[in-house]
Amino acid sequence: MTGHAPKRWGAAHQSRRTVIPALLVFWLIIPLTPLLLWAGASRWSGTARLPQDLGFRGWQEALDTGMIAALARSGLLGVAVALIATPLGSMAGRALGWRLLHRPALPSVVLLAPVVLAPFAVAMGLDVVILRLGIPGEVAVVLVLSVFALPYTTFTMRATYLGLDPTLEEQARVLGASSRQARRCVTLPAATTGLVTATGLAFLVGWSDYAVTLLIGGGQIVTAPMLIGSSAAGSGNDALTSTLAISASLPPLAALAVFTYTASRRRTAAHS
Amino acid sequence: MQLGGARLVAPAVFLILAVTGTALGAVVATSLGLLPLVGQPRLSADGFTALADDLRAATQESLLTAATATLLAAAGGLTIATVVVRAGRGVRLVVGLAAAVMTVPHLVGAAATGLLLSDVGLGQRWSGISAAAWPELVGGRWPWATVLELAWKESAFVALMVIASVGRRYADLREVAAVLGAAPRAQWRRVLLPLSAPALASSSLIVFVYSLGTYEVARLLGRAYPEPLPVMAYRLFTDIDIAARPQAAATAVVATGLALLAAISTLPLLRRLGAGR
Repeated sequence: MTGHAPKRWGAAHQSRRTVIPALLVFWLIIPLTPLLLWAGASRWSGTARLPQDLGFRGWQEALDTGMIAALARSGLLGVAVALIATPLGSMAGRALGWRLLHRPALPSVVLLAPVVLAPFAVAMGLDVVILRLGIPGEVAVVLVLSVFALPYTTFTMRATYLGLDPTLEEQARVLGASSRQARRCVTLPAATTGLVTATGLAFLVGWSDYAVTLLIGGGQIVTAPMLIGSSAAGSGNDALTSTLAISASLPPLAALAVFTYTASRRRTAAHS
Repeated sequence: MQLGGARLVAPAVFLILAVTGTALGAVVATSLGLLPLVGQPRLSADGFTALADDLRAATQESLLTAATATLLAAAGGLTIATVVVRAGRGVRLVVGLAAAVMTVPHLVGAAATGLLLSDVGLGQRWSGISAAAWPELVGGRWPWATVLELAWKESAFVALMVIASVGRRYADLREVAAVLGAAPRAQWRRVLLPLSAPALASSSLIVFVYSLGTYEVARLLGRAYPEPLPVMAYRLFTDIDIAARPQAAATAVVATGLALLAAISTLPLLRRLGAGR
């Protein structure tokens, strides 16, 4: 860009090119900074700028409050939501992306609708019904969260299928593959990145949920967000809150890092 | 076996209709007194009228929070996207951070924002302003902390949506614009902005309706009164007095109605911008 810009912009333009990205990095990082500091502080009283004592008090307390079991429950919830929302969203995404529907408008509106609805309102309504029908809270939480994950999985897979050539599957069938073999051996490998993204998004819906688990579970389903919520709202124990918050953020971040690394290696391999 | 399109979308559509249809039907019926926990059903608008003033205040608070958060998130997201698609310095770091912020739960964001902006938070400690003079950002008269948390996390979402939709097309068109003599500002206004408009508009709508319906952020960072609709609904829903249930449901109906209204009223604009593609 600078090659085409008149020279008098040069200096101001160059400094803007450095300052704005730096400000954006600051904007994205700064809200998370207190968590890192408090999670490593064993004493930080008054209004001192830095902790008086460093240590792992928060981590010990988090273990004592059942952090590991809560993280496992959140993981299970995420997996359950992904197991329902990914295949269903993938099928719907195939129909929308490859234009297999005569009238796609109405199904598209229904598949997008959960984005507009407030999770707390849906959970509140369903709570009344499941009480009467005797449906276990865990089942209801998984169903509601799967509904909220479906727009993400469907439209991620729709975009994926839009970029795939449907005739490849036909060619495989001409060469003697069954429909299922053609889907499994031709389309699915080409759709891997989309499928992983969709699975990740669905998992995150289950993993991060607070309102639905709180409303339907009534405090009985203790996931990681439940522990964070109760610590942040009531205890005033900032070290514990920070430790729980970091523990709940690290697994998805690690998964994202692995995904990005693998995807970039695949791209490099494809280019070479 | 060739699966027809209708059979492919049916399971997802059925699940969504069954769960949201049942839930919203039950919420509306409860708000009208037709689904009481105990006693006989009786059609009445009491759920809406008994706390009309609180409901109005909560609606105002929700709309104010959601609108401000959406404006800030759209502005922040567009700025991030601009820097990234122009391939400036530190682009990979900015994209990586935006993706990382996307994966952080809102509840974690809210807890962190509280630790940053409260009167004994990191902001106060590092700025050197005394706790007494520190502005009431958390739980104060104006929902600063709630708005900033939503804007922070959702700006990353808007940015990634815009970057994904603009992609390579901008690089190609910008080259053409530059060869034709367009200055960087004109390239932004005439090329990047129109290209980003569909993704920017649709992601802003998603941010707006999300902000209207989110519970945990306002619960942790907002003040006790007036509270936004989701916080008011949850408080009434868990009230010991089960007579408050219709009022809780009425609050949920208002929140859902507002979100639907926002979506329906912006749909023509989204369609004109070509957001469906």
